[in-house]
Amino acid sequence: MTATEPGGETAASLAAGLTAPRVLLLVPARTYRAADFLLAAGRMGLGIVIGSDGALQLGGHPVIQVSPGDLQGSADRIMARIGPVSAVVAADTPMLALAAAVAARMGLPANPAEAVTAAADKVAQRRRWAAASLAQPAFRIVAADASEGCLQQAAAEVGFPCVVKAVSLSASQGILRADDPATTTAAARQVRRILGTARRPADEPLLVEEYVPGQELSIDGLLTAGDLAVTAIFDKPCTPDGPTFEETLLTTPSRLPEPVLAAAVATAGRAARALGLTYGPIHAELRIDDRRGAARPTMLELAARSIGGLCSRVLRFPGGMSLEELVLANALGRPAPRRPAAGPSGVLMLPVPQPGVLRAVEGRAAATATPGITGLTITIPIGQRVQPLPEGDRYLGFIFAEGDTHQNVEKALGAARERLRIVIQ
Amino acid sequence: MTDLAAKVTAALERSVLPSVIARGAAVRVVAVQDRIAALEVTGSPGAVLPLASRIEAQIRAAVPEIISVRLVAPGAGPPPGSAANLAEQARRILDAEINPVIAAHRGHVAVDGADQGWIRIRLEGGCQGCSLAEVTVRQGIEPLLRARLPGMTGLADVTSHEAGTQPFFSAEKR
Repeated sequence: MTATEPGGETAASLAAGLTAPRVLLLVPARTYRAADFLLAAGRMGLGIVIGSDGALQLGGHPVIQVSPGDLQGSADRIMARIGPVSAVVAADTPMLALAAAVAARMGLPANPAEAVTAAADKVAQRRRWAAASLAQPAFRIVAADASEGCLQQAAAEVGFPCVVKAVSLSASQGILRADDPATTTAAARQVRRILGTARRPADEPLLVEEYVPGQELSIDGLLTAGDLAVTAIFDKPCTPDGPTFEETLLTTPSRLPEPVLAAAVATAGRAARALGLTYGPIHAELRIDDRRGAARPTMLELAARSIGGLCSRVLRFPGGMSLEELVLANALGRPAPRRPAAGPSGVLMLPVPQPGVLRAVEGRAAATATPGITGLTITIPIGQRVQPLPEGDRYLGFIFAEGDTHQNVEKALGAARERLRIVIQ
Repeated sequence: MTDLAAKVTAALERSVLPSVIARGAAVRVVAVQDRIAALEVTGSPGAVLPLASRIEAQIRAAVPEIISVRLVAPGAGPPPGSAANLAEQARRILDAEINPVIAAHRGHVAVDGADQGWIRIRLEGGCQGCSLAEVTVRQGIEPLLRARLPGMTGLADVTSHEAGTQPFFSAEKR
């Protein structure tokens, strides 16, 4: 016999409801995302176990030391220490492969390890999308030891202007547009220097691909057994056309026509599935190629994570949920609201304008006081050396805004930016 | 009983109490002050303490006016001594158990003060502006202090992380 409690629930179900699910959160040392995931877990009442390559062993909840470069050893340490958990979540890119490996060993729903690996490699992405006949830029792969003649031939085959890309970097680092053979050679040299500085393998190839003009957008979503539920679509009103490709202004919801958005979402979903991704967050970047008289969503890149940096802070979902709460809910197999609840909002990432040492960011109070501005965060400490794209891999900070119209959001972000004076010497 | 206390009591009885009783313990509302609910736990602590975060989440979901929930032992009453006493206790614990460890990352945590059970801390050195500062606070410092200081209501990190000039780890955009 089962005792029924007031409200029709059983003691067993109530007890189950009161037992906080435990989630393994894998947090890389250099991430913007730790605080937002921990806040989300706290709001959801989850028990969190941290695996990290940087966090120290402190008295409260001991951290499991892991290393993204040692998947087997890290997974072994986790399995030996953790006990039962309901989900494994990577807070950021470096932990994606480990999260997939650990989840697989625990029998939890997860992306196949090879799909995560493919999603982190721009060459593998291009090949898989080509095999799936997805719309994407024409591309050629140029081996690390290829001659200049091979490079030039690749550029000629995709046509000018073209884009020279590092295959393993992200955040627009190591990406340059080239308009002719001479700039292609220069771009390739520069990207190789960047790869060397980033200590990437010496045999890493380059991608040379067609430059696709058109409006850029990003699609964030959550996969469940391969089905994509969109959580946010950002327009990039200041879509860059090179030679570097800073991501600066993002606004949401998208103002693109619904049929174009539907086609873009379908393309992103197919792209994820072509990589073999089936569970968890994705962040896809596309351009709407209108060169042939029709708006054609074209895949640029896709990552098996949610939007990077602090950009998710501009999103709020029904019930005040954050994107990180949705990611955690998805990992736990819980239903979650999809589209954001709020009106137009936007985020402006502050690119590094010149190399040097960041001496000051003046005018913060005035920028924050700009009507419509909801937040301003400077994320590089004063005194640190900074590099602009394509060498750099960081942004100076983030400005957030809300408004009754997209125009007012953009206006607020622009005005706030104008009030900042960034001193780099 | 105030309206807020009545709401918390109703939420407790509706969604929490039956399960706690089934686990061999009991819990009741003893005070609601400054939007903080104090719940007295009797019986087996092992039946309730593992549920603490979930109980708080359920009560806060049912009564949004509540910002925090404290579990107290029978007859605990207010914590011994003053806010200064709480701050001093926290300082001793941090100096003994946290600061020697985070010194490995050139970090230090100082107690800024205490007020109504809330302890304010300030992260310094390598911890100030570190991309893992929140992990240090929420997974390391807070649970340790909660376990040692029954009079503690919450922990506030009042650090100006943007002003940190030598964080041990800096975030990278991906």
